[in-house]
Amino acid sequence: MNEQELQDAVNRLPKSIEPPRDLWPEIEARIGTRAGSRSWQRRWYWVPLAAAAVLVFLLIARAERSAWDVTALAGRPLIGTKRLAASGRLRVGDWLQTDDSSRALIAVGRIGQVEVRPDSRVQLVVARTTEHRLALAHGTIDAKVDAVPRLFFVETPAGTAIDLGCAYTLETDSLGKGLLHVTGGEVEFQTGSRASRVPLGALMQIRPTGPGTPYVDDAPAPFVRAIIAFDFEQRGTRARATRNVLALARAQDAISLWHLLQRVDVPLRGLVYDRLAALVPPPPGVTRRASIALESRALEGYWTKIQRIHFRIMVLRGVREIDPRTGLARE
Amino acid sequence: MSDDLVARAQAGDQTAFRELYREHAGRVYALCLRLTGDGRDAEERTQDVFVRLWDKLSSFRGESAFSSWLHRLAVNVVLNERRTTGRRERRVMPTEDPDSVVGAQHAAPLHGSGLSIDLERAIAELPDGAREVFVLYDIEGYAHGEIAQLVGIAEGTSKAQLFRARRLLREKLER
Repeated sequence: MNEQELQDAVNRLPKSIEPPRDLWPEIEARIGTRAGSRSWQRRWYWVPLAAAAVLVFLLIARAERSAWDVTALAGRPLIGTKRLAASGRLRVGDWLQTDDSSRALIAVGRIGQVEVRPDSRVQLVVARTTEHRLALAHGTIDAKVDAVPRLFFVETPAGTAIDLGCAYTLETDSLGKGLLHVTGGEVEFQTGSRASRVPLGALMQIRPTGPGTPYVDDAPAPFVRAIIAFDFEQRGTRARATRNVLALARAQDAISLWHLLQRVDVPLRGLVYDRLAALVPPPPGVTRRASIALESRALEGYWTKIQRIHFRIMVLRGVREIDPRTGLARE
Repeated sequence: MSDDLVARAQAGDQTAFRELYREHAGRVYALCLRLTGDGRDAEERTQDVFVRLWDKLSSFRGESAFSSWLHRLAVNVVLNERRTTGRRERRVMPTEDPDSVVGAQHAAPLHGSGLSIDLERAIAELPDGAREVFVLYDIEGYAHGEIAQLVGIAEGTSKAQLFRARRLLREKLER
């Protein structure tokens, strides 16, 4: 059996297998116990006691949840005006500051961690189980989060990095000029209505005006320069910059062209689409007309294909050579 | 509709939650069965997943498909259980040595027919680490970076385990 035959057999496996017996009665008993334990609280004479207990619990829980653990990794970072010895707590509203020789590790609730590199300033903005939010005023952080998408946010002077289940390094100066490098999963960076999706193995320049166009971390320097020119140089030169990007693009650069399609002036969209389609053919159902009209279904369909190929290239680097047009392994 | 069921279950409606169970039990059980390689473990983990779901349902905000969210929850439940109890270490395959899987027994029930049966059996007989990576990558479509985070291993280890799993499976299916 070769690799392809194995893959075909895997693809034929059923996605769903019914359990050999009904598991519901035991599940019901387990959750019923919890529900049952709540029923006594509905009796009127328990109400004052329950209310008092809940109030105390909420106060304690709020105090606990509104602070995250911080550990000094090097030197003595500051929390507010106090030096952090070995470890401490960062409360909502507190600023953590590192100097040129100190570093700190912040536990992001229960979902991840952020290493704060030297010369950085970070504030805890929101610390709830449904929203974990930091502000990075300047400096560099390395974030690792293991949670469902959109639970962890980092505000910068230029916009907000939104975690989609990932690991990344984010740096910014106090004006908002910075860089995002994603090393696992995917990050969305948003400034107003402008957003970029940066997958594993991709970089993105950030300016005070917002996020640039993502590009793969092994993109040739001329291509990167062309992308930066398109994103941040004078608007009058954008048509020329667009043509430069298209001329230099490889199939591996499809994530860049997918963003470019939505950012170029309308007359240039057809040009960008045609180049993208020549490098990575669109999946079935995604048409030129719908893509140029920026219909979300078409764009999402195309992105899913591009992202899937991109992830395979990245995770199989050094292991298998992947055709960037199709995502299939080359023999 | 699943959305309506989710909303009702979030409000504490156990009848709606039971319907959610009926709708998703097969998908969750298949995942648990393949990750654990053991039918009895898979039943327990499936129950754990739905009990955990009942606790966590209020945190579902509809930003991804419910089935995707539940799927991720199920993966976490199974992997966390293994990490915290080390139950796997007491099972019939106490080592990651690929050679040791020959002749290993398993309790996973078989489904499908022909090659699918052989493949399910072969997957169940893989060493734990190789099986988890194979199931998550090749069957469930996770990337190595995600698997590394979920399982608590390096990405390189994930790639190596996948390579090992595929080789072992090909060898077993050729017999």
